[in-house]
Amino acid sequence: MRLLTHNMLSSNIKGVEKGFPLRIEAEKVVEKPVEMNADFLRKMFEKVEWKAFVEASRSMGYAQLPEEVDSGMLESDEFLSRFHHALLELHLEEGALVCPETGRRFPVNKGIPNMLLHEDEV
Amino acid sequence: MALSATTTIAFKTVNTQICSRNFLPPQRHLPFSSSLSSSSFVRTVSARAMELERKNPPVIDENGVLKKGIAEFYDESSGIWENIWGDHMHHGFYPPDSTVSLSDHRAAQIRMIEQALRFASIPLEDERKWPKKIVDVGCGIGGSSRYLSQKFGATAVGITLSPVQAQRANALAASQGLANKVSFQVADALDQPFSDGQFDLVWSMESGEHMPDKAKFVSELARVAAPGATIIIVTWCHRDLGPDEESLKPWEEKHLKKICDAFYLPAWCSTADYVKLLESLSLQDIKSEDWSPYVAPFWPAVIRSALSWKGLTSLLRSGLKTIKGALAMPLMIEGFKKDLIKFAIITCRKPE
Repeated sequence: MRLLTHNMLSSNIKGVEKGFPLRIEAEKVVEKPVEMNADFLRKMFEKVEWKAFVEASRSMGYAQLPEEVDSGMLESDEFLSRFHHALLELHLEEGALVCPETGRRFPVNKGIPNMLLHEDEV
Repeated sequence: MALSATTTIAFKTVNTQICSRNFLPPQRHLPFSSSLSSSSFVRTVSARAMELERKNPPVIDENGVLKKGIAEFYDESSGIWENIWGDHMHHGFYPPDSTVSLSDHRAAQIRMIEQALRFASIPLEDERKWPKKIVDVGCGIGGSSRYLSQKFGATAVGITLSPVQAQRANALAASQGLANKVSFQVADALDQPFSDGQFDLVWSMESGEHMPDKAKFVSELARVAAPGATIIIVTWCHRDLGPDEESLKPWEEKHLKKICDAFYLPAWCSTADYVKLLESLSLQDIKSEDWSPYVAPFWPAVIRSALSWKGLTSLLRSGLKTIKGALAMPLMIEGFKKDLIKFAIITCRKPE
């Protein structure tokens, strides 16, 4: 699971008011290089919830992202390559995504999060 | 049919309660406005649901049994489907009265996607209006997600109950260089793991028939749709009921039940039921059409492929669930011929 995906996922357990962002428990993180596409990154920049993204990146072992950003930074190659690395090249292979309110763990196995709710969470 | 020998094996029906008529949950779960509840159809169905609940205490975790059945069915069958038919697990779109060979079917499946986009009035000529974030609800092995992502340069996330499908979908995305745009998760369409209003195209291609709670299914589609987003549902329905009808005829119910058991489907609803649900959620530009004439060659072609050498050997190596599904295919043809089963498209837009 990449951080691009993590930035979209949320806990919808019954009664939870704020299920985003999910905390990451990383057991196995793998780096897989992928070609950078600056246009794609610029488009994604609009959509990414930045604070959640930086925190998630830290949980995956990468702390090189700035805490605060503005669109001017998209001109910097240095920033783009860090953004690219954190967004697309870090994979959570094994671990869990944790609901921020209830602490419920959604397991991640072989890179795939299992977001199925139990009967009593619906 | 050559497989008739295997019918002597007694298949255990997963859950006879699955295909009951009561697809609407008891009143307390209904999220929508009183304009729908005033219709006699809802009063009849929910009254019947409550009556049945009083008489027969619900089977514990009935939907859990169905979900497990669906996941296992697709865990078992997706590989063999992909091997023979490729990565699109949906009907092809064929000009009426055409004769097609197996090699045309992939093109027909692509045509189905394109026709659905056209029907929903997605502005295909204006790149600025193309969807940027797509959700594929009931994504199979991700054929639609990858196709749409490539077409629009958009990101797509797919959800499926089947871990095998999610795995395969991700692997195919990686092999096609799409892994940075397309990802797949195991999740329930009735409780999508996304916050509200995230997607500008909400896509459900032949997954609606698996949803035991149509109202919840539709309300989740609407919830995750962004303002101005398009929702596209392509699904199997039964014929619309006539003005004097309260339910399908007994032979029709029996027929559908056999299909339900084989394909892990809950109770069917009609296209008109979907339209009513979308209306109750104040969605706009609601359109629906019966595309049954355009999918007629599909099931005969699937049966022919199952009876080919490759098909038969794959089936015999697969498992009971897949075989049982294969044996139900003639029931689909019969259902279409008798105007009981409809292949429907329903689209709409979320208000800005």
